[in-house]
Amino acid sequence: MSQQEIDSLALQRIAAGVEPGQAWSSYQAAARALDRIPAGAVPDRLRARLALLGSFTLEPFVPVLRVEAARAGIWLDIYVAPYGQYLSELIDPNSGLYRFGPNVTFLAVDPDVLWNQRWAESPPLKTEPVVGGLLTPLFSGLDVFDRAGTGIVVMNDFVLPRRSTEGVNAFRTKGTFAHTVAHANKHLRLRLSLRDHTFLFPLADVVAQVGRDHAFNWRTHYRGHVTWSDRLMAAVAERYVGFALAAMGRATKCIVLDLDNTLWGGVLGEDGPAGIALGPQWPGSEFVDFQRELLDLQGQGILLALCSKNNEHEALAVLREHSSMLIREAHLAAYRINWDDKATNIRDIARELNIGLDHMLLIDDSPHERAWVRQEIPELRIPELPSDPTMYASWVGSLPSLIVLQQTAEDTQRTRQYQESHSREAYRGSVDSVEAFLRGLELRVDITQVDDDSMARVVQLLGKTNQFNLTTRRHDEPTIRRRTAAGEWRVYTMRVTDRFGDFGLTGVAIVAPDKETWQLESFLMSCRVIGKSVETALLSRIAEDARAAGATALSAEFIDSGRNQVAAGFLPGHGFTEGPDGRWTRSLETGSPQWPAWIEAASAVSVPAERQRETIG
Amino acid sequence: MTDQSQVAVRVREVMAQVLDLPPGEIGPELSTETSSAWTSLNHLMLISQLESEFGVVFSNAEVKGLTSFTAILDALGRRRDSVA
Repeated sequence: MSQQEIDSLALQRIAAGVEPGQAWSSYQAAARALDRIPAGAVPDRLRARLALLGSFTLEPFVPVLRVEAARAGIWLDIYVAPYGQYLSELIDPNSGLYRFGPNVTFLAVDPDVLWNQRWAESPPLKTEPVVGGLLTPLFSGLDVFDRAGTGIVVMNDFVLPRRSTEGVNAFRTKGTFAHTVAHANKHLRLRLSLRDHTFLFPLADVVAQVGRDHAFNWRTHYRGHVTWSDRLMAAVAERYVGFALAAMGRATKCIVLDLDNTLWGGVLGEDGPAGIALGPQWPGSEFVDFQRELLDLQGQGILLALCSKNNEHEALAVLREHSSMLIREAHLAAYRINWDDKATNIRDIARELNIGLDHMLLIDDSPHERAWVRQEIPELRIPELPSDPTMYASWVGSLPSLIVLQQTAEDTQRTRQYQESHSREAYRGSVDSVEAFLRGLELRVDITQVDDDSMARVVQLLGKTNQFNLTTRRHDEPTIRRRTAAGEWRVYTMRVTDRFGDFGLTGVAIVAPDKETWQLESFLMSCRVIGKSVETALLSRIAEDARAAGATALSAEFIDSGRNQVAAGFLPGHGFTEGPDGRWTRSLETGSPQWPAWIEAASAVSVPAERQRETIG
Repeated sequence: MTDQSQVAVRVREVMAQVLDLPPGEIGPELSTETSSAWTSLNHLMLISQLESEFGVVFSNAEVKGLTSFTAILDALGRRRDSVA
């Protein structure tokens, strides 16, 4: 970090010089302002590496993408593959792409590649060989990426760039351009869905949003293969940034919602439960649709919370009893319905859910509240809600930070897990010592090595855990698979349950087992299980395995990310001492860190029963 | 301000943004020969931005010939005359 650190707000100020939809030259000018920020002034946590591979000229897209990223408060280091080299860059493991090591790779492929192939022979080929001619080498390239690449790949669907002249029957006539594009998209969807780190970019949807007549610039297309218009570039960039945020672990984890004129029309305190607008007809149906959109996000693992100035019992009565209310108490991870100021309440919710304020987003209809909270909590995302409620439902889908890449079994249950923690907190108030509290929880952990079933969750935790994380190293699946297969890494996973419920897979450790010393490459706990001493159990297991393998010490690092202070005491608290090089070591000659007596190990194989009795006794 | 000098101001502004030059450096002496910022890709984008800014479409011959500040002003001036 340099003396004058650039934060998200500084980036956002530069981006604010360009309104979305302004001419490309304004983006170019703002990108030059970004260039003047000295290298190294932007902290790593705000940076992502992004590669662009295209079948057409993408250089003019770079300034637009950088400015839209700055609008979201992040900095992008961008690599553009040589013109038209997208296939060879993917297929050659020594290409610039792989040397660059991106977090996100975007493949921008024009339907011209299909069109040209179709016209390369006369008479035009049938559909299948045209599609196979592109998709077969493309997917071979993605196979290489799985082994040699880093991060995720995002590829667009194909869009017919103009109205077809092939006639109304084109969609059912093999060999036409329309049929070829439809067939290619079908196969692309199917084959991308079978891969873990490859995502479809909905270009057809973005073109529809901009309008096809405004989406392509035919003059620059023919003059220099710059196919996307200024407007399409801006709209695509906005969505690309959403993927980058998700890949960086900076996507929104919790949406905080206001009630009056946000989830329903009118003011509950004045209009009463029968007078608010919420129901199958307008006015009211627009709020029902908005709630549907929010529940779709909740279903992907984004938490919903309420923060409203109302009388709690009156608001809860609507949540419980109103026949058209879709968001019910069961969908909420937390709520603060009172007359305190919203900034205090939102900070409270963040504490209760153990989520950083910079991972939360506020939806509130009052410009006054938004401005006030923005001033109090600058790191909170507070988008401008449209003043017209009929726009709410379509607006919420346009927020870039709400992209969820990986959905795991844990995601769909996350709200329930937070609700169980309400019961735990209530229980905490009723016991008088921490140890008694932990004993009473009936904690149980299951520690195993990563396998195919748990891989997605492990990658997800590595990608987004910020608080209890010793090194905050992000690793992707190909890297993990490669290094575990080579015997360089052992990847431990830990599932945690207690008498109130199941936390799921919430602990990960990556160990490099050298002969004498086992090194902790990564060690993290989901914030949901912080404060339960389960981290001690995981460390104890690793130490026992190390001793059994003949090692005599553990070695670890603590890398201060600015956000992982909760983990700072972990190493000194478990007998590690810091060496002059900043590395921490702990001898195993005199034994392992003690397994907490109040935690039961689920798999008896790894921790023999007699050892458990030993430590308990 | 005359009509012509207004055109020059707008051209300067677009060129300054696209080529990342201070407006003061954009004058009769600026051309693809004298400026390293005026690459072929920037030329393509410059022409297209000028077309949007002034609501005109340059012919193929013009696109190839508009390689100096003066040539751009002349081409836009000719268009105004023929429209008027």
